[in-house]
Amino acid sequence: MNGRSLALGQYYPARSALHTLDPRVKLLLMLALVTAIFFINNLAVMVAAGLLVPVLATVAKVPYSWVIRGLRPLLFILILTFFIHVFFTPGARLAAIGPLTATRAGLRNGAFYSLRLGLVVLFSSFVTLTTTPVQLTDAIESIFGPLKKFRLPVHEVALMMTIALRFIPTLLSEAETIMQAQKARGADFESGHIFKRAKSFVPLLIPLFISAFRRADELALAMEARGYAGGEGRTRLHVLKVRAADVVWLIGGLAVIALVVGVRWAV
Amino acid sequence: MKEGDAGTMASGKSSIDVRAIAEVGICVALAAVLNLVPLFKLPQGGSVSLDMLPIFFLAFYRGPRLAILAGVVYGFVDYAIDPFFVHPAQLILDYPLAFGLVGLAGFVRPTSLIKVAVGTILGGLARFTAHFFSGVIFFASYAPKGQSPWLYSAVYNGSYMLASTLICIPLVYALLQAFKQVEGGSPSRP
Repeated sequence: MNGRSLALGQYYPARSALHTLDPRVKLLLMLALVTAIFFINNLAVMVAAGLLVPVLATVAKVPYSWVIRGLRPLLFILILTFFIHVFFTPGARLAAIGPLTATRAGLRNGAFYSLRLGLVVLFSSFVTLTTTPVQLTDAIESIFGPLKKFRLPVHEVALMMTIALRFIPTLLSEAETIMQAQKARGADFESGHIFKRAKSFVPLLIPLFISAFRRADELALAMEARGYAGGEGRTRLHVLKVRAADVVWLIGGLAVIALVVGVRWAV
Repeated sequence: MKEGDAGTMASGKSSIDVRAIAEVGICVALAAVLNLVPLFKLPQGGSVSLDMLPIFFLAFYRGPRLAILAGVVYGFVDYAIDPFFVHPAQLILDYPLAFGLVGLAGFVRPTSLIKVAVGTILGGLARFTAHFFSGVIFFASYAPKGQSPWLYSAVYNGSYMLASTLICIPLVYALLQAFKQVEGGSPSRP
């Protein structure tokens, strides 16, 4: 258990145009932007698209360091991608380290592909940086809403997500309490090889699961006592409404994306 | 945890009753909590955690339908908490689809330890397949032409998936036994 439990996810609280933007518009723009990245076939255009990152960070009022942090789990793959291209692309010889030959084309490809990877990750992170998981859930329910016609349980899935997000902190502190209680009885959760450690988790897992299922039962009872009876006709406290600003963002965003994609055929 | 305490009153058109919604939601929360406690970190990224355990448990306890649903929901929640996005197809394969497939374990009835092992391996294998193809797409989009993405994806995804799946077999069996004791009967299936 570490500090991540306190601030779940990437969300950076601030009051900005991106934070107040309709989460559905954000999701759609992000998907369009990320798809557009795969249409770019030119290093210069890729670099130009990269300039959007500081622009978006400024608009979102998220510190640059916070944005860059999203790349951290990917650092190893980014560096690997770069060097594999540098050394394994055939072309004019640039320099040699032992049996490895770096080429000019390799350097270009390395920059191009690691930039592509980095930009996809950074652009997609702007959604999770500026949207709470609960807002994201509402957006997913709304976007997939038409699938209800095909008898897919869209509303139920969204409600399950909301319940899960609500109970993660509760169950996390419960797990910590049980761990402390078992440690006081002499349990050891930290030593031994992987299978021994897994086995030592049994005294944690059984009380945790049993109390979690008891909680689920109480929750269901409470929901019915309050008259919950499925998605049909249910009302909400926060209703997603498209505002003029959302439309402006959507049109402006799609125009930029069309430009990025269009360059491929224009040049 | 007695049978039919809640959920039986729901008479909506939806075939998922209130208790099922609550159980899936709580199981997904359990998965997210267990994911925060990594058992073992692999050098090349990827970690072995018990996040599949609640989905396996639900698969054997309530059947494959709810477990697949729980897997899909956990996929979305996992993405909302800790996103890793490098390609639109990878997003679907690595999150909702991969964890949804874990629920397939429930098609095997958990009547013995062997059956539990078979079901668990089935679910793990199905999830591996999704990550495997996602890895192939990833390497095909970012690696130089001529490098084989198939082998690397199999090795990378196989390493942590094998450990994560095998660990769940005794644990999910222990949980099923414990729930049997608490309820004083065999696990109920809808």
